[in-house]
Amino acid sequence: MSAKPVGLVGEPVEPVSSALLDLSKVTKHFGGLAAVQDVDLQVNPTEIVSIIGPNGAGKTTVFNLITGIYRATSGDVRLEGRSLVGLSPDQVVKRGITRTFQNIRLFNNMTVLENVLVGLHTQLKANVLGSLFHTPAVLREEIDARKRAIDLLSFFGSELVVRQEEYVINLSYAEKRRVEIARALAAKPKLLLLDEPTAGMNEAETLEAVKYVRRLRDELGLTILLIEHKLAVTMGISDRIAVLDYGRKIAEGLPEEVRRDERVIEAYLGKPSTRGEIAQVDEKATE
Amino acid sequence: MSTSVSSRTFLPERDTRQRLIKWIVALLVPVMVFTIWSGESIINAVISPGTASGNVPTDFPSLVQAAIFTAIFYVAVIALAGYLVAADSGRRGMLELWVDVLVFALVPLVLVIFFGLIIGLALCAIVWPVYFLIRNQVRKALNYTAPSPLEGLKLLDAEQRVLVMERAIAGGFWFGLAFAVVSLIVDLVFFISGSLTTTLLIWAIVRTILLPIAGYFLGRLSGWIALRRTLPARDSSNGNSQSSTNGIGNGRSKRRRLEVLSTSRAKEEVKDLVPNDLPLRSAGAQRFYLIILVAFVLFYPLIDPFLFGFGTDGRLAGYGDAGYYVILALGLNIVVGFAGLLDLGYVAFFAIGSYAWGILGSTQLTNVLNLAPVNPHLLSWLFWPMLLGGALIAAFWGVLLGAPTLRLRGDYLAIVTLGFGEIVPIVFLELDKYSNGPNGIVGVQSPAFFGLQWSVITPTPYYYLILALIAITIFANFRLRDSRLGRAWIAIREDEIAASSSGINLVNTKLFAFGAGAFFSGIAGAYHAAKLGGVSPDNFNFTDSVVFLAMVVIGGIGSIPGVIVGALSVYAVNLFILAQLDTLAADPTNFMFTVKNSIIHVIPGFTFGNIRNLVFGIILVVIMIFRPEGLIPSARRRRELRHAEDEGPGGDVLDVVPGAPGFETEVRVE
Repeated sequence: MSAKPVGLVGEPVEPVSSALLDLSKVTKHFGGLAAVQDVDLQVNPTEIVSIIGPNGAGKTTVFNLITGIYRATSGDVRLEGRSLVGLSPDQVVKRGITRTFQNIRLFNNMTVLENVLVGLHTQLKANVLGSLFHTPAVLREEIDARKRAIDLLSFFGSELVVRQEEYVINLSYAEKRRVEIARALAAKPKLLLLDEPTAGMNEAETLEAVKYVRRLRDELGLTILLIEHKLAVTMGISDRIAVLDYGRKIAEGLPEEVRRDERVIEAYLGKPSTRGEIAQVDEKATE
Repeated sequence: MSTSVSSRTFLPERDTRQRLIKWIVALLVPVMVFTIWSGESIINAVISPGTASGNVPTDFPSLVQAAIFTAIFYVAVIALAGYLVAADSGRRGMLELWVDVLVFALVPLVLVIFFGLIIGLALCAIVWPVYFLIRNQVRKALNYTAPSPLEGLKLLDAEQRVLVMERAIAGGFWFGLAFAVVSLIVDLVFFISGSLTTTLLIWAIVRTILLPIAGYFLGRLSGWIALRRTLPARDSSNGNSQSSTNGIGNGRSKRRRLEVLSTSRAKEEVKDLVPNDLPLRSAGAQRFYLIILVAFVLFYPLIDPFLFGFGTDGRLAGYGDAGYYVILALGLNIVVGFAGLLDLGYVAFFAIGSYAWGILGSTQLTNVLNLAPVNPHLLSWLFWPMLLGGALIAAFWGVLLGAPTLRLRGDYLAIVTLGFGEIVPIVFLELDKYSNGPNGIVGVQSPAFFGLQWSVITPTPYYYLILALIAITIFANFRLRDSRLGRAWIAIREDEIAASSSGINLVNTKLFAFGAGAFFSGIAGAYHAAKLGGVSPDNFNFTDSVVFLAMVVIGGIGSIPGVIVGALSVYAVNLFILAQLDTLAADPTNFMFTVKNSIIHVIPGFTFGNIRNLVFGIILVVIMIFRPEGLIPSARRRRELRHAEDEGPGGDVLDVVPGAPGFETEVRVE
């Protein structure tokens, strides 16, 4: 376990000024169904926090509540002490939260570069008249935006930079994930939400993904909240883990604590026989 | 690169010889047909007016115009055939190339000669797709596979490059000479048989001298083109100043770019770099068409009398009408094509633009307000600010009417916009006091401009006005599409949730799309009111909205050139050709007369007017089945449809996890 645990774990966190993101008693009902029920979660600056849980536990719903795609039925979501409830997704982006999606949502018929340029939307100021007449300011801005986009792509090595003119539909799955993260980074977020960043990747790609998620925090100073299915990955990179089941948070703590938590194991890790294998893969992932 | 014509040059190698024969025949036949069939008769008409029929003017300016026209026409035909040959990779069989030339250069000529320009070209639009279809079927039957474009990418050292140039020059020279000799013989035959005047014989002899010279230089040109389409060998280009001309630098950078691209992308790039079997679609060809087209459109009022002889004004007026459809289609393309919002009520904004100038540009407003009428001359000048004003008013209503639809998508959005399309014309119909109700507004002023007569009898100013407006619209469309806003529109069209999660404000961006679309229809509306000299509520129906949408869809959603072509072809087919079939059929000498009579035997009382919408509908269905992406699809749209059809399995393969088989299932917590 190379990542150093930060944050105060397990303690009831009353108005903690240091928390970047603060979910308190967030509840979301779809009709009679409670998709998320009274979830509390704090994410401190430069922390990597994972949300895990079985399918349908409400993980992605929590993301949608934070980013404004859904509006919470009750409870509050705060970023740096300011409530995000009722904001539209683009306003949330302007506050400093961007995200990726579980089933990659890139603009498939745009090129890699164009996708990142769309991500830069909030950073650009060009208005309609400026764009029509190509004022010097707009031209400079467009050129700078392209440079910035290439910078962002180069975070993942030269491969995407070389393929910047390519339509994303031609990229491999892992590359699409990277483009999606680059697009999310373009808006200069404080908090990055990654929804299953290693889904559909093979072992090597997963290790690569784990590395760059760490680098996002270490080099760019980002705070990261992620949903992950692969326990190995979660254990390897998270400072803290929150476990959801049936829309409720059933445990939270250091990876080691969560792994040993009987409730968590009973709730959904299931048969004890799989635990050994998990530990094995865990070692690989954290190499 | 100054290469003298040596004796070696005149003896091409065997593989080249065969290719030359193939190309020369391909070039010669259409030119000959044009020369004998119609080109000569035009020159005859101009040079020796006594023998000509029709009322072609004979004063000096007309002669100059005729010469210009003849030159343009010649160049266009030669260039078309020549381009087919020059861009041919040389890997196709003789027969295939000849058939291609026949269909693309000869068929239009013959059709235009028999049916006139418009109908001829329209028939071409039917013949060509059928030809493509048949060719594809034949290829499929013969198991034909097009060679990979990369196959033709050749590396040539300096010596080989010189050789290519020499061969090209020789080819051009021989072609020019052969063409000249054959033409001379034909003319001599005519002269001996007495149907050629001495003046024309002199011209024929001058041509015999000029053609080989022209051939020499055209050969140089084609050599240059050929060299552009090869890559210089790496070593030879170092310090070899002689071969570093001719766009070689371009070739090298392209090669470097190709090296770093993935195969799928490289294939697309290479299409424009090396000769391929789709020469008509390469970037070079498209630039060439564009130049010819712009020249043709600009000089059209001068050329028209020589194409048809009389009725120029009527046709120009018709093209003025076609022009505002282009603007409308381009405006609707912003809403439907870029932002992906299906708008079935676009006619509403057209009506608003029309009434904006209709009410202000006539005595209507001053009458209603009980003011003294404005001096009509002054009022005419107000057209120019009101062009912008009408557009802004329309844009304002576009935003206002767009606002309630923001939460709707797809079908629901379409229904609501359809409602607006119905409401707005009815409002104008019922708003008697301002809009004159069902009578409409009459006496709307035409624009004023220094020293120009604007009236129904002199449509030329309107022709150039609409050209200018179209140019502005196209310019604005391109700029908007490539801007921050345009990217946001396309992002919304692709995926609304991802777009808004990238920080795009859906409300503002969509409203901008509605506003921008309405803006251009406002321009079209003001022009429409001014040109018609009035506004009638009958001009704004649901069917018009549908026709606008058909223009966008048929042309290619989201593709600016496509939408222009779509607007023109829908206008030509639906409002021009189909509307005039009955008029044509009334003329006993016309082909349609026979058609109509033979149908009347089966269905008594048949008129083409009755089945106009049926024919139009059938055309729409056929196009949507065989070319769902539109006539000139945008790159994105084409990719989208192609991927949806062909690459389904490819996509699945990507989804399969390529790593250790058990890894996923073991680690996943489910």
